[in-house]
Amino acid sequence: MTSARPSDAELLAAIAERDLRAMRELYDRHAPWLTVRLSRRCADQDVVADAVQDAFLAVWQKPGSFRGQGAVGAWLWGIAIRRLVSRLRGRREVLLGLSESSEQVLGAEDQVLLSVAYGDVGQALTRLSPQARSVVQAVILDGLTTREAARLLGMPQASVKTRLARAKVQLRAVLVEGTR
Amino acid sequence: MSSWHVEDRDLRRWLAHNTALATSVSIEQHLVSCDGCIDRVGALARQDSALDAEMEHGWERVRDAVELHRPSWLERGLTTVGLPAHEAQLVAAARAFRGPLLVAVLVVLVFAELAGQFGQARGEFFFLLVAPLLPSAAVAFGYDPDLEPALEQELCTPYSPARLVVLRTIAVLTLAIPVAVLLGLVLPGPISFLWLLPAAGFVAADLALSTWISPLRGVAVITGVWSVTVWVTAYHSSTDAALHGAYPSVYLVLVVVSLAVFARRAGHVRGAYPGRSSR
Repeated sequence: MTSARPSDAELLAAIAERDLRAMRELYDRHAPWLTVRLSRRCADQDVVADAVQDAFLAVWQKPGSFRGQGAVGAWLWGIAIRRLVSRLRGRREVLLGLSESSEQVLGAEDQVLLSVAYGDVGQALTRLSPQARSVVQAVILDGLTTREAARLLGMPQASVKTRLARAKVQLRAVLVEGTR
Repeated sequence: MSSWHVEDRDLRRWLAHNTALATSVSIEQHLVSCDGCIDRVGALARQDSALDAEMEHGWERVRDAVELHRPSWLERGLTTVGLPAHEAQLVAAARAFRGPLLVAVLVVLVFAELAGQFGQARGEFFFLLVAPLLPSAAVAFGYDPDLEPALEQELCTPYSPARLVVLRTIAVLTLAIPVAVLLGLVLPGPISFLWLLPAAGFVAADLALSTWISPLRGVAVITGVWSVTVWVTAYHSSTDAALHGAYPSVYLVLVVVSLAVFARRAGHVRGAYPGRSSR
Protein backbone atom coordinates (compact mmCIF):
# COMPACT_ATOMS: atom_id res chain seq x y z
CA MET A 1 0.00 0.00 0.00
CA THR A 2 2.73 2.45 0.93
CA SER A 3 5.61 3.41 -1.32
CA ALA A 4 7.90 1.19 0.75
CA ARG A 5 5.92 -1.90 -0.25
CA PRO A 6 8.40 -4.24 -1.93
CA SER A 7 7.20 -5.78 -5.18
CA ASP A 8 6.48 -9.49 -5.43
CA ALA A 9 9.56 -9.95 -7.62
CA GLU A 10 11.71 -8.25 -4.97
CA LEU A 11 10.26 -10.56 -2.34
CA LEU A 12 11.13 -13.58 -4.50
CA ALA A 13 14.70 -12.33 -4.86
CA ALA A 14 14.92 -12.03 -1.06
CA ILE A 15 13.43 -15.52 -0.68
CA ALA A 16 16.13 -16.89 -2.97
CA GLU A 17 18.56 -15.51 -0.36
CA ARG A 18 16.65 -17.51 2.24
CA ASP A 19 14.93 -14.49 3.82
CA LEU A 20 12.10 -15.83 5.99
CA ARG A 21 10.58 -12.38 6.54
CA ALA A 22 10.15 -11.94 2.80
CA MET A 23 8.52 -15.37 2.76
CA ARG A 24 6.09 -14.26 5.46
CA GLU A 25 5.26 -11.13 3.52
CA LEU A 26 4.61 -13.08 0.31
CA TYR A 27 2.45 -15.53 2.23
CA ASP A 28 0.41 -12.81 3.94
CA ARG A 29 -0.11 -11.12 0.62
CA HIS A 30 -1.12 -14.10 -1.51
CA ALA A 31 -2.28 -16.95 0.73
CA PRO A 32 -5.73 -15.43 1.46
CA TRP A 33 -6.91 -15.01 -2.12
CA LEU A 34 -5.29 -18.28 -3.18
CA THR A 35 -7.13 -20.06 -0.37
CA VAL A 36 -10.47 -18.48 -1.22
CA ARG A 37 -10.10 -19.15 -4.94
CA LEU A 38 -9.02 -22.76 -4.40
CA SER A 39 -11.84 -23.35 -1.94
CA ARG A 40 -14.23 -22.34 -4.69
CA ARG A 41 -12.90 -25.33 -6.65
CA CYS A 42 -12.73 -27.88 -3.84
CA ALA A 43 -15.06 -28.40 -0.89
CA ASP A 44 -12.48 -30.12 1.31
CA GLN A 45 -10.83 -27.31 3.28
CA ASP A 46 -7.97 -29.53 4.47
CA VAL A 47 -6.99 -30.33 0.90
CA VAL A 48 -7.12 -26.63 0.03
CA ALA A 49 -4.93 -25.73 3.02
CA ASP A 50 -2.44 -28.45 2.08
CA ALA A 51 -2.32 -27.28 -1.54
CA VAL A 52 -1.63 -23.69 -0.48
CA GLN A 53 1.16 -24.81 1.84
CA ASP A 54 2.62 -27.07 -0.85
CA ALA A 55 2.64 -24.13 -3.21
CA PHE A 56 4.51 -21.88 -0.78
CA LEU A 57 7.01 -24.62 0.02
CA ALA A 58 7.63 -25.01 -3.71
CA VAL A 59 8.21 -21.25 -3.86
CA TRP A 60 10.71 -21.47 -1.01
CA GLN A 61 12.54 -24.32 -2.71
CA LYS A 62 12.63 -22.77 -6.16
CA PRO A 63 11.97 -19.03 -6.13
CA GLY A 64 14.07 -18.83 -9.30
CA SER A 65 11.51 -20.75 -11.32
CA PHE A 66 9.56 -17.50 -11.67
CA ARG A 67 10.95 -16.26 -14.97
CA GLY A 68 9.86 -12.67 -14.53
CA GLN A 69 7.13 -12.93 -17.15
CA GLY A 70 3.64 -11.87 -16.14
CA ALA A 71 2.36 -11.38 -12.63
CA VAL A 72 3.74 -13.30 -9.65
CA GLY A 73 0.11 -13.88 -8.64
CA ALA A 74 -0.59 -15.75 -11.88
CA TRP A 75 2.52 -17.87 -11.37
CA LEU A 76 1.50 -18.68 -7.79
CA TRP A 77 -1.99 -19.62 -8.94
CA GLY A 78 -0.46 -21.97 -11.54
CA ILE A 79 1.52 -23.76 -8.82
CA ALA A 80 -1.35 -23.85 -6.32
CA ILE A 81 -4.01 -25.22 -8.71
CA ARG A 82 -1.58 -27.93 -9.85
CA ARG A 83 -0.86 -28.89 -6.26
CA LEU A 84 -4.61 -29.10 -5.72
CA VAL A 85 -5.03 -31.29 -8.82
CA SER A 86 -2.30 -33.66 -7.70
CA ARG A 87 -3.72 -33.85 -4.16
CA LEU A 88 -7.23 -34.55 -5.37
CA ARG A 89 -6.32 -37.26 -7.86
CA GLY A 90 -9.81 -37.46 -9.24
CA ARG A 91 -11.78 -37.20 -5.98
CA ARG A 92 -14.83 -35.91 -7.76
CA GLU A 93 -17.06 -35.69 -4.74
CA VAL A 94 -15.29 -32.62 -3.39
CA LEU A 95 -15.14 -30.78 -6.69
CA LEU A 96 -17.08 -27.56 -6.96
CA GLY A 97 -17.79 -26.58 -10.53
CA LEU A 98 -18.86 -23.20 -11.77
CA SER A 99 -22.28 -24.75 -12.02
CA GLU A 100 -22.74 -24.24 -8.26
CA SER A 101 -22.88 -20.48 -8.27
CA SER A 102 -24.11 -20.14 -11.82
CA GLU A 103 -27.57 -21.27 -10.80
CA GLN A 104 -28.00 -17.93 -9.10
CA VAL A 105 -29.70 -15.20 -11.03
CA LEU A 106 -27.45 -12.29 -11.85
CA GLY A 107 -28.16 -9.31 -9.60
CA ALA A 108 -28.19 -5.76 -10.87
CA GLU A 109 -24.74 -5.09 -9.44
CA ASP A 110 -23.36 -8.18 -11.09
CA GLN A 111 -24.70 -7.02 -14.41
CA VAL A 112 -22.89 -3.70 -14.01
CA LEU A 113 -19.67 -5.38 -12.88
CA LEU A 114 -19.85 -7.66 -15.87
CA SER A 115 -20.44 -5.04 -18.43
CA VAL A 116 -17.40 -3.16 -17.16
CA ALA A 117 -15.07 -6.13 -16.88
CA TYR A 118 -16.11 -8.55 -19.56
CA GLY A 119 -19.05 -7.24 -21.47
CA ASP A 120 -20.65 -9.90 -23.57
CA VAL A 121 -18.08 -12.57 -22.71
CA GLY A 122 -19.32 -12.84 -19.14
CA GLN A 123 -22.89 -13.19 -20.37
CA ALA A 124 -21.86 -15.80 -22.88
CA LEU A 125 -20.15 -17.83 -20.13
CA THR A 126 -23.34 -18.01 -18.13
CA ARG A 127 -25.14 -19.48 -21.13
CA LEU A 128 -22.75 -22.40 -21.55
CA SER A 129 -23.95 -25.84 -20.58
CA PRO A 130 -22.63 -26.96 -17.14
CA GLN A 131 -20.32 -29.54 -18.75
CA ALA A 132 -18.83 -27.04 -21.15
CA ARG A 133 -18.49 -24.51 -18.34
CA SER A 134 -16.43 -26.77 -16.08
CA VAL A 135 -14.00 -27.43 -18.93
CA VAL A 136 -13.79 -23.76 -19.91
CA GLN A 137 -13.07 -22.90 -16.29
CA ALA A 138 -10.32 -25.49 -15.90
CA VAL A 139 -8.57 -24.94 -19.22
CA ILE A 140 -9.13 -21.29 -20.11
CA LEU A 141 -9.67 -19.52 -16.77
CA ASP A 142 -7.58 -21.67 -14.41
CA GLY A 143 -4.86 -22.25 -16.99
CA LEU A 144 -4.59 -26.03 -16.77
CA THR A 145 -3.53 -28.24 -19.66
CA THR A 146 -6.17 -30.57 -21.07
CA ARG A 147 -4.33 -33.42 -19.36
CA GLU A 148 -4.43 -31.72 -15.94
CA ALA A 149 -8.04 -30.67 -16.47
CA ALA A 150 -8.92 -34.28 -17.26
CA ARG A 151 -7.32 -35.34 -13.99
CA LEU A 152 -9.07 -32.60 -12.00
CA LEU A 153 -12.48 -33.32 -13.49
CA GLY A 154 -12.02 -37.09 -13.44
CA MET A 155 -12.78 -37.61 -17.12
CA PRO A 156 -10.73 -38.80 -20.12
CA GLN A 157 -8.55 -36.24 -21.84
CA ALA A 158 -10.44 -36.79 -25.07
CA SER A 159 -13.69 -35.72 -23.39
CA VAL A 160 -12.04 -32.51 -22.21
CA LYS A 161 -11.00 -31.73 -25.77
CA THR A 162 -14.42 -32.53 -27.19
CA ARG A 163 -16.19 -30.40 -24.59
CA LEU A 164 -13.75 -27.55 -25.12
CA ALA A 165 -14.40 -27.64 -28.85
CA ARG A 166 -18.15 -27.68 -28.21
CA ALA A 167 -17.82 -24.78 -25.76
CA LYS A 168 -16.03 -22.75 -28.44
CA VAL A 169 -18.93 -23.29 -30.80
CA GLN A 170 -21.40 -22.29 -28.09
CA LEU A 171 -19.44 -19.17 -27.16
CA ARG A 172 -19.15 -18.22 -30.78
CA ALA A 173 -22.85 -18.69 -31.26
CA VAL A 174 -23.65 -16.36 -28.37
CA LEU A 175 -20.97 -13.77 -29.07
CA VAL A 176 -21.06 -13.55 -32.85
CA GLU A 177 -24.33 -14.86 -34.14
CA GLY A 178 -26.20 -13.77 -31.02
CA THR A 179 -25.38 -10.09 -31.47
CA ARG A 180 -26.52 -9.92 -35.04
CA MET B 1 -3.33 -3.47 -15.07
CA SER B 2 -6.62 -1.68 -15.64
CA SER B 3 -8.49 1.21 -14.14
CA TRP B 4 -11.24 -1.13 -13.01
CA HIS B 5 -11.10 -2.51 -9.47
CA VAL B 6 -13.30 -4.83 -7.49
CA GLU B 7 -15.57 -3.07 -5.05
CA ASP B 8 -15.30 -3.98 -1.38
CA ARG B 9 -18.87 -5.26 -1.33
CA ASP B 10 -18.16 -7.66 -4.21
CA LEU B 11 -14.90 -8.81 -2.66
CA ARG B 12 -16.75 -9.61 0.57
CA ARG B 13 -19.34 -11.59 -1.31
CA TRP B 14 -16.64 -13.42 -3.22
CA LEU B 15 -14.92 -14.36 0.05
CA ALA B 16 -18.24 -15.67 1.31
CA HIS B 17 -18.72 -17.75 -1.88
CA ASN B 18 -21.73 -15.66 -2.67
CA THR B 19 -21.14 -14.32 -6.16
CA ALA B 20 -22.59 -15.36 -9.49
CA LEU B 21 -20.47 -17.04 -12.11
CA ALA B 22 -19.50 -14.07 -14.23
CA THR B 23 -18.69 -11.92 -11.21
CA SER B 24 -16.44 -14.62 -9.73
CA VAL B 25 -14.68 -15.01 -13.04
CA SER B 26 -14.09 -11.27 -13.32
CA ILE B 27 -12.81 -11.00 -9.75
CA GLU B 28 -10.54 -14.04 -10.04
CA GLN B 29 -8.96 -12.94 -13.29
CA HIS B 30 -8.45 -9.44 -11.90
CA LEU B 31 -6.96 -10.56 -8.56
CA VAL B 32 -4.10 -12.41 -10.20
CA SER B 33 -2.39 -9.21 -11.23
CA CYS B 34 -3.79 -6.34 -9.11
CA ASP B 35 -1.63 -5.56 -6.07
CA GLY B 36 -4.22 -3.19 -4.62
CA CYS B 37 -7.09 -5.66 -4.74
CA ILE B 38 -4.84 -8.50 -3.50
CA ASP B 39 -4.00 -6.38 -0.45
CA ARG B 40 -7.68 -5.66 0.12
CA VAL B 41 -8.46 -9.39 0.13
CA GLY B 42 -5.71 -9.77 2.75
CA ALA B 43 -7.26 -7.01 4.87
CA LEU B 44 -10.75 -8.53 4.57
CA ALA B 45 -9.37 -11.98 5.44
CA ARG B 46 -7.88 -10.60 8.65
CA GLN B 47 -11.31 -9.29 9.66
CA ASP B 48 -12.74 -12.78 9.27
CA SER B 49 -11.54 -14.53 12.43
CA ALA B 50 -11.97 -18.06 11.05
CA LEU B 51 -10.07 -17.35 7.84
CA ASP B 52 -7.46 -15.33 9.74
CA ALA B 53 -6.82 -18.24 12.11
CA GLU B 54 -6.59 -20.60 9.16
CA MET B 55 -4.02 -18.35 7.49
CA GLU B 56 -1.98 -18.11 10.67
CA HIS B 57 -2.07 -21.88 11.13
CA GLY B 58 -1.04 -22.35 7.51
CA TRP B 59 1.87 -19.98 7.93
CA GLU B 60 3.07 -21.86 11.00
CA ARG B 61 3.13 -25.08 9.01
CA VAL B 62 4.96 -23.45 6.11
CA ARG B 63 7.47 -21.89 8.50
CA ASP B 64 8.05 -25.16 10.32
CA ALA B 65 8.67 -27.01 7.08
CA VAL B 66 11.02 -24.28 5.91
CA GLU B 67 12.93 -24.05 9.17
CA LEU B 68 13.22 -27.79 9.52
CA HIS B 69 15.50 -27.59 6.59
CA ARG B 70 18.96 -26.59 7.78
CA PRO B 71 21.55 -26.46 5.01
CA SER B 72 23.93 -29.41 5.23
CA TRP B 73 27.69 -29.08 4.90
CA LEU B 74 27.39 -30.30 1.32
CA GLU B 75 24.77 -27.68 0.54
CA ARG B 76 26.89 -24.92 2.04
CA GLY B 77 29.86 -26.19 0.03
CA LEU B 78 27.84 -26.09 -3.18
CA THR B 79 26.69 -22.53 -2.46
CA THR B 80 30.28 -21.43 -1.90
CA VAL B 81 31.20 -22.88 -5.29
CA GLY B 82 28.57 -20.57 -6.77
CA LEU B 83 25.41 -22.64 -7.11
CA PRO B 84 22.22 -20.70 -6.16
CA ALA B 85 20.89 -21.69 -2.73
CA HIS B 86 17.73 -23.38 -4.00
CA GLU B 87 19.67 -25.41 -6.58
CA ALA B 88 22.22 -26.44 -3.97
CA GLN B 89 19.32 -27.68 -1.85
CA LEU B 90 17.90 -29.65 -4.79
CA VAL B 91 21.22 -31.29 -5.54
CA ALA B 92 21.92 -32.10 -1.92
CA ALA B 93 18.40 -33.50 -1.44
CA ALA B 94 19.45 -36.60 -3.39
CA ARG B 95 19.25 -39.77 -1.38
CA ALA B 96 22.85 -40.60 -2.36
CA PHE B 97 24.01 -37.89 0.02
CA ARG B 98 22.01 -39.06 2.97
CA GLY B 99 24.74 -40.70 4.92
CA PRO B 100 24.09 -44.45 4.70
CA LEU B 101 24.45 -44.88 0.97
CA LEU B 102 27.60 -42.78 0.75
CA VAL B 103 29.12 -44.65 3.67
CA ALA B 104 28.21 -47.98 2.07
CA VAL B 105 29.89 -46.97 -1.19
CA LEU B 106 33.03 -45.88 0.64
CA VAL B 107 33.16 -49.07 2.72
CA VAL B 108 32.88 -51.23 -0.39
CA LEU B 109 35.58 -49.16 -2.08
CA VAL B 110 37.93 -49.55 0.88
CA PHE B 111 37.12 -53.25 1.09
CA ALA B 112 37.75 -53.71 -2.62
CA GLU B 113 41.04 -51.83 -2.37
CA LEU B 114 42.24 -53.89 0.56
CA ALA B 115 41.23 -57.10 -1.15
CA GLY B 116 43.11 -55.98 -4.21
CA GLN B 117 46.19 -55.24 -2.18
CA PHE B 118 46.36 -58.36 -0.05
CA GLY B 119 44.52 -61.03 -1.98
CA GLN B 120 46.61 -60.61 -5.12
CA ALA B 121 44.98 -62.18 -8.17
CA ARG B 122 41.60 -62.97 -6.63
CA GLY B 123 41.43 -59.66 -4.76
CA GLU B 124 42.38 -57.79 -7.89
CA PHE B 125 39.65 -59.54 -9.82
CA PHE B 126 37.07 -58.64 -7.22
CA PHE B 127 38.24 -55.06 -7.13
CA LEU B 128 38.07 -54.82 -10.91
CA LEU B 129 34.58 -56.30 -10.91
CA VAL B 130 33.14 -53.93 -8.30
CA ALA B 131 35.00 -50.63 -8.25
CA PRO B 132 34.16 -49.33 -11.76
CA LEU B 133 30.44 -49.93 -11.13
CA LEU B 134 30.25 -47.93 -7.91
CA PRO B 135 30.23 -44.37 -9.26
CA SER B 136 27.41 -45.11 -11.73
CA ALA B 137 25.44 -46.90 -9.00
CA ALA B 138 25.86 -43.91 -6.70
CA VAL B 139 24.69 -41.60 -9.47
CA ALA B 140 21.66 -43.78 -10.22
CA PHE B 141 20.64 -43.83 -6.55
CA GLY B 142 21.01 -40.06 -6.61
CA TYR B 143 18.18 -39.45 -9.03
CA ASP B 144 16.15 -42.54 -9.73
CA PRO B 145 12.56 -41.26 -9.59
CA ASP B 146 11.30 -44.51 -8.07
CA LEU B 147 13.69 -44.19 -5.13
CA GLU B 148 13.57 -40.46 -4.73
CA PRO B 149 10.30 -39.21 -3.26
CA ALA B 150 11.67 -35.66 -3.32
CA LEU B 151 11.55 -35.74 -7.11
CA GLU B 152 7.76 -35.89 -7.10
CA GLN B 153 7.62 -32.47 -5.57
CA GLU B 154 10.49 -31.12 -7.59
CA LEU B 155 8.80 -31.95 -10.85
CA CYS B 156 5.69 -29.93 -10.03
CA THR B 157 7.24 -26.61 -10.88
CA PRO B 158 9.04 -26.16 -14.16
CA TYR B 159 12.61 -27.37 -13.80
CA SER B 160 14.66 -29.35 -16.26
CA PRO B 161 15.15 -32.92 -14.94
CA ALA B 162 18.17 -33.26 -17.21
CA ARG B 163 19.83 -30.30 -15.52
CA LEU B 164 19.07 -31.76 -12.10
CA VAL B 165 20.51 -35.13 -13.10
CA VAL B 166 23.71 -33.59 -14.46
CA LEU B 167 24.17 -31.39 -11.37
CA ARG B 168 23.68 -34.38 -9.06
CA THR B 169 26.02 -36.53 -11.11
CA ILE B 170 28.75 -33.93 -10.89
CA ALA B 171 28.18 -33.58 -7.15
CA VAL B 172 28.32 -37.36 -6.56
CA LEU B 173 31.49 -37.67 -8.60
CA THR B 174 33.26 -34.77 -6.90
CA LEU B 175 32.63 -36.58 -3.63
CA ALA B 176 33.47 -40.10 -4.73
CA ILE B 177 36.38 -39.65 -7.13
CA PRO B 178 38.92 -37.98 -4.77
CA VAL B 179 38.33 -40.70 -2.17
CA ALA B 180 38.72 -43.39 -4.81
CA VAL B 181 41.90 -41.83 -6.13
CA LEU B 182 43.38 -41.51 -2.65
CA LEU B 183 42.61 -45.15 -2.00
CA GLY B 184 44.09 -46.05 -5.39
CA LEU B 185 47.42 -44.70 -4.20
CA VAL B 186 47.55 -47.60 -1.74
CA LEU B 187 47.17 -50.15 -4.51
CA PRO B 188 50.38 -50.82 -6.46
CA GLY B 189 50.43 -50.85 -10.24
CA PRO B 190 48.42 -49.10 -12.97
CA ILE B 191 45.16 -50.89 -12.07
CA SER B 192 44.62 -48.40 -9.24
CA PHE B 193 43.88 -45.62 -11.73
CA LEU B 194 42.98 -47.44 -14.90
CA TRP B 195 39.66 -48.56 -13.40
CA LEU B 196 38.54 -44.92 -13.47
CA LEU B 197 38.23 -45.20 -17.27
CA PRO B 198 35.47 -47.83 -17.34
CA ALA B 199 33.93 -46.08 -14.30
CA ALA B 200 33.65 -42.85 -16.31
CA GLY B 201 32.28 -44.79 -19.27
CA PHE B 202 29.59 -46.39 -17.11
CA VAL B 203 28.47 -43.10 -15.54
CA ALA B 204 28.10 -41.59 -19.01
CA ALA B 205 26.37 -44.72 -20.32
CA ASP B 206 23.92 -44.66 -17.42
CA LEU B 207 23.06 -41.03 -18.15
CA ALA B 208 22.39 -42.00 -21.76
CA LEU B 209 20.38 -45.10 -20.76
CA SER B 210 18.28 -43.04 -18.36
CA THR B 211 16.70 -41.35 -21.36
CA TRP B 212 15.08 -44.73 -22.16
CA ILE B 213 14.84 -46.69 -18.90
CA SER B 214 15.17 -45.92 -15.19
CA PRO B 215 18.76 -45.19 -14.10
CA LEU B 216 18.75 -48.16 -11.75
CA ARG B 217 17.79 -50.53 -14.56
CA GLY B 218 20.52 -48.90 -16.60
CA VAL B 219 23.04 -49.78 -13.90
CA ALA B 220 21.71 -53.33 -13.81
CA VAL B 221 22.28 -53.67 -17.56
CA ILE B 222 25.78 -52.21 -17.25
CA THR B 223 26.60 -54.51 -14.34
CA GLY B 224 25.62 -57.54 -16.38
CA VAL B 225 27.68 -56.54 -19.39
CA TRP B 226 30.68 -55.60 -17.25
CA SER B 227 30.62 -58.83 -15.21
CA VAL B 228 30.63 -60.92 -18.37
CA THR B 229 33.47 -58.85 -19.82
CA VAL B 230 35.62 -59.17 -16.70
CA TRP B 231 34.95 -62.92 -16.39
CA VAL B 232 35.64 -63.66 -20.02
CA THR B 233 38.81 -61.56 -20.30
CA ALA B 234 40.15 -62.88 -16.97
CA TYR B 235 39.48 -66.43 -18.14
CA HIS B 236 41.29 -65.99 -21.43
CA SER B 237 44.28 -63.93 -20.25
CA SER B 238 45.33 -62.04 -17.10
CA THR B 239 43.06 -60.79 -14.29
CA ASP B 240 43.17 -57.15 -15.33
CA ALA B 241 43.00 -57.81 -19.07
CA ALA B 242 39.83 -55.69 -19.29
CA LEU B 243 41.99 -52.64 -18.58
CA HIS B 244 44.64 -53.21 -21.23
CA GLY B 245 45.04 -53.49 -24.97
CA ALA B 246 42.17 -51.97 -26.93
CA TYR B 247 39.84 -51.76 -23.91
CA PRO B 248 40.79 -48.29 -22.59
CA SER B 249 39.94 -46.71 -25.95
CA VAL B 250 36.60 -48.54 -25.89
CA TYR B 251 35.78 -46.84 -22.57
CA LEU B 252 36.77 -43.44 -23.95
CA VAL B 253 34.53 -43.98 -26.98
CA LEU B 254 31.75 -45.05 -24.60
CA VAL B 255 32.10 -41.77 -22.68
CA VAL B 256 31.99 -39.63 -25.82
CA VAL B 257 29.13 -41.49 -27.52
CA SER B 258 27.04 -41.69 -24.32
CA LEU B 259 27.43 -38.00 -23.57
CA ALA B 260 26.45 -37.17 -27.13
CA VAL B 261 23.35 -39.39 -26.84
CA PHE B 262 22.45 -37.81 -23.49
CA ALA B 263 22.86 -34.30 -24.87
CA ARG B 264 20.60 -35.13 -27.83
CA ARG B 265 17.93 -36.87 -25.78
CA ALA B 266 18.09 -34.78 -22.59
CA GLY B 267 14.37 -34.01 -22.90
CA HIS B 268 13.55 -37.70 -22.47
CA VAL B 269 15.11 -38.12 -19.02
CA ARG B 270 12.76 -40.31 -17.05
CA GLY B 271 10.88 -38.34 -14.47
CA ALA B 272 10.09 -35.57 -16.93
CA TYR B 273 6.49 -36.75 -16.89
CA PRO B 274 4.90 -36.02 -13.50
CA GLY B 275 1.82 -38.16 -14.27
CA ARG B 276 4.01 -41.19 -14.96
CA SER B 277 3.71 -42.93 -11.61
CA SER B 278 0.04 -42.22 -10.99
CA ARG B 279 -1.05 -45.75 -11.90
